[in-house]
Amino acid sequence: MASDNQKITRHAGIDRAFHWIMAATVLLLMITSLLPVLGIRFAWYGVHWVSGLLLTAIIAGHILRALFVQKPRVIMIAGADFKPRGAGKYTLPQKLMHLAWAVVVLVAIVTGLLLLRKAGVSFLERDPYVRTLAAWGIITLLHDLAALLSVFLVLLHVYFAILPEKRAYLRSMLKGSISRAELGQEHDLSKVDRGD
Amino acid sequence: MNLLRFGHDTYGNRIIDGASWDLLPVAFWAGIAVIVVHLVVRAMKRGKGGG
Repeated sequence: MASDNQKITRHAGIDRAFHWIMAATVLLLMITSLLPVLGIRFAWYGVHWVSGLLLTAIIAGHILRALFVQKPRVIMIAGADFKPRGAGKYTLPQKLMHLAWAVVVLVAIVTGLLLLRKAGVSFLERDPYVRTLAAWGIITLLHDLAALLSVFLVLLHVYFAILPEKRAYLRSMLKGSISRAELGQEHDLSKVDRGD
Repeated sequence: MNLLRFGHDTYGNRIIDGASWDLLPVAFWAGIAVIVVHLVVRAMKRGKGGG
């Protein structure tokens, strides 16, 4: 039988790199979009669209890896998540946080890519006349809502990551591994052993 | 407090420009509120020995 101190690999290096690059790009996107709103003026647009394209690229890579290399079902909400110690790799709150980020980031990416046409970038000529002002308004509204929800989610995500009883998860996102004892507090280890 | 920003099209019709930035402090304080509520519930559970 495996000992409690045995380390389990929770996040591969590529997944940890994805997580922290995503965190950096999301923070850059928030800084470059929201500081001007707060009255701090600077040339934000270049950093914003480059960060947005980097985020788009890594999210595309993450989706492909999740679909074809990993098991997408481990992040899907299931009935067992509602039972004590019924969770597999991810607990219900972790799955809900992932779902919330997925919706917010995908909305931000899709609307952001559309808005590139309105604002123009070095490789795409500006043409705001491809859509009506009303349509641009709705696209901008969705982009803004994604930014506002990001503020809310970053606060919650950082808070739960640094809570003492959840810090093992943060450590695993830095180092890759977690002990069976730490995981066994909230997870069904037999599912974890099966990769579920 | 406004929920939306409005502008006008070339015909003078009022159109949506985006979300109102009045919502930025709302998003921030909503996050802080959830954190405070969680800390209180957590402290109460620990007080009762619920871990």
